[in-house]
Amino acid sequence: MKGKLLFLFLMTALSTQLWAQRTVSGKVTSAEDGSALPGVNVVVVGSQQGSITDVDGNYSLEAPDGASLNFSYIGYVDFVVEVGNQSIIDVVLQGDVTQLSEVVVTALGVERDVQALNYSVTDVAGDNFTEAREINVGNALTGRIAGVNVSSPSTGPAGSTRILIRGNKSLNGQNQPLYVVDGIPMDNSIGDQAGLWGGADEGDGLSSISPDDIESITVLKGANASALYGSRGGNGVINIVTKQGKKRKGVGVEFNSNYTFDVLYDQTELQTKYGAGGYNNGVSIAPQTPSDGFGQGRSSWGPALDGSPVYQWDGVQRPYTYQGNKFKNFFENGNTFTNTLALSGGGDQQTYRFSATDLRSTSIIPNSGFDRTNVTLSTNGKYFDKLTLNAKVMYSREKAKNRPTVSDSPGNAVQSIWYTPNNVDANLQKGPADRPGSIPEGLDPQMYTIYGQGGDPRTPGMEWLPASNNWGQNPWWSTETMVNDDTRDRIIGSAGLRYDILDWLYVSGRIGMDWSQRRETRLVPQGTGYQLGGSMQEGLQDIRETNMEWMLGVDKDFGEFGLNAFVGGNKMERSWERIRADGNGFSVDFFEAINNASSRNYNYGYNQSGINSLFGSVEVNWKHIIYLTGTGRNDWFSVLNPESGNNIFYPSVGGTWIFSDSFEGTPSWLSFGKLRASWAQVGLVTIGPYETNLEYGLGDSHLGRPMAGISGAFGRTATLPNQFIKPALSTETEIGFDLRLFQNRLGIDFAYYDQQTTDDIVSQTISVATGFGATRVNVGKITNKGWELLLTGTPIQAGDFVWDVSLNLSYNKNEVVSLIDGLTELTGEEPRTRNAFIKHIVGQPYGTITGRVQATDPNGNLVFDDQGRAVAVNDFVPIGQGVPPWGWGINNSFSFKNFNLDFLIDGKNGADIYSGTNLRMTQGGWTEQSVQGRLGEDPLHITGVQNTGTTEAPVWTPVDRDLTPEEAANYWSRLGDQSNGISTAWIYDGAFVKLRSVVFGYNFPRSLLQDTPIQNVSLSFVARNLWVISKHIDNVDPESAYSSNGGAQGLEYFAMPATRSYGFNLRIGF
Amino acid sequence: MKYINKIILSVLALMAPLAACDTDALHELNVNPQALNEVNTNFMFTAASLSLASGGFSGDNRYIDWRTNMGYTMYFMQHFASTGLGLNSAGDKYYDNDEAWNAPWEFWYGNVGKTLALIFKQTSEGGFEEGQRPNMVAASKILWALNFHRLTDFYGDIPYTEAVQGPDGLFRPKYDTQQSIYMDLFSKLTEGINGISASNPDEGFAAADIIFDGDIAKWKKFGNSLMLRMAMRISNADPGTAATYVTQAVQGGVMESNDDNVWIPMDDGPSEWVNQNGISRAFAPGDGGQNRVMAKTLIDFLKGTDPNSVADDDPRLMILSEGIQGDTDPLNQEGQPNGLDGNDLDDYTGIPNTVANEQFSSANLKLFDDADPYILMNYAEVCFLLAEAAERGIGTVPGSAQQWYDNGVRAAMQFYAPMEPGDASMEVSDAQVDAYLATYPYGGGGVTGSESALEQIGYQMWASKFFNWWEAWSDWRRTGFPTLVPTDYPGSASPGVIPTKLRVPNREVATNQENYEAGATKPDSPVGKVWWDQ
Repeated sequence: MKGKLLFLFLMTALSTQLWAQRTVSGKVTSAEDGSALPGVNVVVVGSQQGSITDVDGNYSLEAPDGASLNFSYIGYVDFVVEVGNQSIIDVVLQGDVTQLSEVVVTALGVERDVQALNYSVTDVAGDNFTEAREINVGNALTGRIAGVNVSSPSTGPAGSTRILIRGNKSLNGQNQPLYVVDGIPMDNSIGDQAGLWGGADEGDGLSSISPDDIESITVLKGANASALYGSRGGNGVINIVTKQGKKRKGVGVEFNSNYTFDVLYDQTELQTKYGAGGYNNGVSIAPQTPSDGFGQGRSSWGPALDGSPVYQWDGVQRPYTYQGNKFKNFFENGNTFTNTLALSGGGDQQTYRFSATDLRSTSIIPNSGFDRTNVTLSTNGKYFDKLTLNAKVMYSREKAKNRPTVSDSPGNAVQSIWYTPNNVDANLQKGPADRPGSIPEGLDPQMYTIYGQGGDPRTPGMEWLPASNNWGQNPWWSTETMVNDDTRDRIIGSAGLRYDILDWLYVSGRIGMDWSQRRETRLVPQGTGYQLGGSMQEGLQDIRETNMEWMLGVDKDFGEFGLNAFVGGNKMERSWERIRADGNGFSVDFFEAINNASSRNYNYGYNQSGINSLFGSVEVNWKHIIYLTGTGRNDWFSVLNPESGNNIFYPSVGGTWIFSDSFEGTPSWLSFGKLRASWAQVGLVTIGPYETNLEYGLGDSHLGRPMAGISGAFGRTATLPNQFIKPALSTETEIGFDLRLFQNRLGIDFAYYDQQTTDDIVSQTISVATGFGATRVNVGKITNKGWELLLTGTPIQAGDFVWDVSLNLSYNKNEVVSLIDGLTELTGEEPRTRNAFIKHIVGQPYGTITGRVQATDPNGNLVFDDQGRAVAVNDFVPIGQGVPPWGWGINNSFSFKNFNLDFLIDGKNGADIYSGTNLRMTQGGWTEQSVQGRLGEDPLHITGVQNTGTTEAPVWTPVDRDLTPEEAANYWSRLGDQSNGISTAWIYDGAFVKLRSVVFGYNFPRSLLQDTPIQNVSLSFVARNLWVISKHIDNVDPESAYSSNGGAQGLEYFAMPATRSYGFNLRIGF
Repeated sequence: MKYINKIILSVLALMAPLAACDTDALHELNVNPQALNEVNTNFMFTAASLSLASGGFSGDNRYIDWRTNMGYTMYFMQHFASTGLGLNSAGDKYYDNDEAWNAPWEFWYGNVGKTLALIFKQTSEGGFEEGQRPNMVAASKILWALNFHRLTDFYGDIPYTEAVQGPDGLFRPKYDTQQSIYMDLFSKLTEGINGISASNPDEGFAAADIIFDGDIAKWKKFGNSLMLRMAMRISNADPGTAATYVTQAVQGGVMESNDDNVWIPMDDGPSEWVNQNGISRAFAPGDGGQNRVMAKTLIDFLKGTDPNSVADDDPRLMILSEGIQGDTDPLNQEGQPNGLDGNDLDDYTGIPNTVANEQFSSANLKLFDDADPYILMNYAEVCFLLAEAAERGIGTVPGSAQQWYDNGVRAAMQFYAPMEPGDASMEVSDAQVDAYLATYPYGGGGVTGSESALEQIGYQMWASKFFNWWEAWSDWRRTGFPTLVPTDYPGSASPGVIPTKLRVPNREVATNQENYEAGATKPDSPVGKVWWDQ
């Protein structure tokens, strides 16, 4: 393996006479410590002549006049020197610090020289995850890699991350990449996500990884890069390489401590002038009775705040005044404290690294947080010169406390705060300290009856609803009395052995396991508004994946040709199991334990699946200038039916030409230049176990009698298994170039790709009269075309001052080309407002937002009804795009002496957001928008036409008038209506620019540490998500998705508010 | 090159066992250890039975009742009233509501129909229980008739002969006419009634039968009563066939008392979504929380001719109503008019921000316990149908119309006891019934004083179908009784006309468009009419 970045360093020479063929000798030493280097290859460039240095580093050979000698040694930069008239040439070889970053881990953990790669890969070093850190490592990739779209839904501290590489490739499944840790695939099951009816983000598999253990992350973007992973790599691969021990004297101790505050980033601009209330016969009035106070506890159409006494939800009259920013009143400051201790060391035969990390965090939402403990031990050994062992075990324990509910209401405290009227202080709704959010003793007795809403009166200890809506929770009840906790224990272990049969032939085997167990507890307490009896769940989920792999490989040069090839096989097995106890109602009042549930039920789920694979790769190079690579893999899937084809072969071919090394007289400003091209196919299997079998299963029993139906299809719109499903096929062509100019001061890496998925597995909706709602068929076609640009540069390098900058930019054009015969669209998710749909429409990109527009007459005038409300056209038409086609990031790093400053600005463009929060807040009278038209404000004026005829024979009468305040309120309310709303009123441009991360650090000079055992200390100020530099959406952060599901991108509805985080990172090495 | 040859050779050597990648062990991973290739079909019968009540087996047992039986038909039929404009009260103002159209289609095809079809498939030729379980199969045919007559009653012409055969690859079933469906249902029903027999081996039927615990006589009565209902339902469209089946049903033996009522028993658990009564769940204040405010039409009927007299009240008044915020004085009971929004209601009561349940009677929570049984068909209906048949001279009916009318009123009034066993307030004595019948004798003009005998029967049948509002709606569509004043609210899908048909759900139109266009009842709108309602 040759480093390609050559830095000439030092040479001493003595000149002698000019001879045609002369003997040259000398000594090769290491620049690091001046020691002699034995075994260095010394070759006369362009010939077969060569020699090797002896134990003392001396060499001697015959060389013709005008020849050049090439000195190469593993771990050192190649050094070329013209012989000229010298006969003694002593050489000092420079340790190759850059070499590590030039070798990347490619598919199957194979390390390859970057210059051989015929596709684009991007490497991100571990520092980027440890300083300005995120709990979920995936989020730390945001903005760093061209073509990698990271979206972190706004769902709280332990939420999932969505990573989309080069666009959505399938209409089915998650479209998320495969995660591989040190060559072993890792389970990244995405937990439940909030949907139409709300819910919490139950996290993903990635959150187990401690950033402190990461050496680097390599992203394999295209099918070409990941073809060797087969079906599972079809959406790209994220390769995580963990830190390893290094040979050293004694034990290396590293300690890292990171403390950050998470602070509410309030982006709301709501009206502060009007309070609770509503219109009655044209007049806006504040609540007049205790019953009104409760009934109108979530309305904001009252009159201007005037300080008069007004009833509130608790039957108490308080001054009708603004109670301050309700978000700042409710949310707390969160914090995250992470401490890592790592020990490493070893000798010639064996190295080791041990690390322990403890993370404790609290969220900005009360009583919620995430804790994680990681312990990792890894070791590498080399025995008998030929046998290499590496083994590792990573244990993690994650504890999520009260994952917040987002989207729809049940349990959504954030929504409750949004709905708090200006004159109400939500902190007063906290109630008794031992049961927050519950009805206290000693209220005016009529309140208990009012709270009953026509049923039995509510009693102390039950939920203290802030308004007469059983589904709109008391925020304190949601956060402190409801429970949604989980704990996950996980072990990822792997061991690999490699035996070098010959110096060019090896055989290796590897076995890995990822096993996790998740324990969850959920409680809807007794007395909850929408479920007075209460309910509880205790669950245990177990996921296990094992991989066994073998490989046989060669790596040998034949004169000007080099060959690197291997064959191998893999066997993957995965099982999933869940046991859950459900309880409803509690026998002893307010004693909320599953064994106290008055009715109990259990649930059991199990499935298993496997993939057997064979693969091989051949790479041939000519003089390390031209590389040709071909790979193949065959996967056999357990989830497919053997009779109708359960296996598929994936080929890939590609080539690379390093043109900068091909010609004499390459200009000096061209340090490196490479062209690359490749083509690959990968199958996508997006169905789960048992989905091709028609079997019978037993459901719940009734009165002790068993009940059965079609397994997995008890429901009324169940999916009918299709035994003929085969894998979808993704085909991708990629071309690109890599240029480095002006002694590497400027780098340009460009890639263009053209991907298409055919035979996509699509869930076809069928007539429910068949008894089923859907079946799966291989029919869809979807394409992604795009380009990625990475510019790296060092604009200034002056003495101690260095400025590095890196810019990445990408564009992806996605198109749904065809669906099932006769169908032009598939429907994805739907927001709670139920007046928009995400659809995948033929001719449009995946994830198009559709909704209603305002009707117009034949002359294009807007249509209003007799009450001045906008009239909608009842069809759902495309009104926006949920997935951004453009993504970019700029990272600047400055270093001056011991100081460094690093900041990342990133953005996304081209997507839209359908804002349910703004819709609801305008409907209810909270937004600034809704102020227009109220008494004493600018009137709401409408201009257009009204149909004074009939639907069949319309008569378009012009309207041009101001609406009355009540009409205006109705106008706003209708604008967001479920059946008649105008969806386009709630679409916002989703483009944004953010200052994503800032690190300002100082390395203490060695001189200060001389008399201490400490070898190095660095202290940094770190910050993330500091500033939304530009956005187009009111009141909420532009990254406010409530779900990481692919079919819900572009929807926003009462997610967690954004946070800024900042703090310090301290690193000490002993 | 010799190295390459060697490599290729060793690769080939390694490839020899490659075929072994497609292993049995791999195939076995796809065998679900929690599922069976064959199952005792009795277990599917239990599932289908429960699914007929609230769709319990599908695990979402309040949806269909809440959306359609309650959200639509209990408002259409003016048993309840609401100022709400949302999904669960769309029927008050005849609003379009795809969920209300959709629910019966989804639950009765997608759950009941599918399950019964599998029972027939697996017990007939080539099935894994071929020729077995004759009683269960016969009972399944009776349930099949109930399921599909309800479906076609709601929508008119629907997929039938090609329906619920997804596993056989029929993804776009054609539509059949309601008339042909009814004819096939009569023959299925006859097969069921004739096929069920005490001399057949039990083969687990009694244990699987949550309705009658294997009581063959009751199944026969249920089958014949259902035949009577179906015959009377087509009596305007096809009087000849109706007469034939009325006679056949009576001869076969219909229900004889409230003991023969077809209840699906319910339970508190293990799952609230499966085992509980969906109507109860929808009304429960801490669960569905559906408004229980009763309609003026029903309360006025129950209060009798003189609203200021208790003596002429229907004894069911304070069984169905629990009062107004604890006020249980029958004289003070009042129902809310249908078709009003909040402002209209303020105008009606003269009270700003009227809270409806502070001014009007609420339905009695005792009727809505989670484990209360769910009614499919009762004896009162049989009596009223026989009264009508006798009055109209359809088929051969023993006894007089009046006799059946009196029996029907008695059965209807004494129907509620199973809701609250042992609670005297839910019971109506024979003496109370006699007094009521004395006040409103058959043929005496009824509560309004001017009802014809048929109209009187219609009123009583309507009142007797509290819980079974969709059946009340079908009766009303056929007979036109009672005379209900339609509401007319802006935005209504059928202004001033009580809907006479459920629209075929959007999803069906989208997924089976050609067959829908060719075969569905037109106009497919709330004012469209099904065959027997022409």
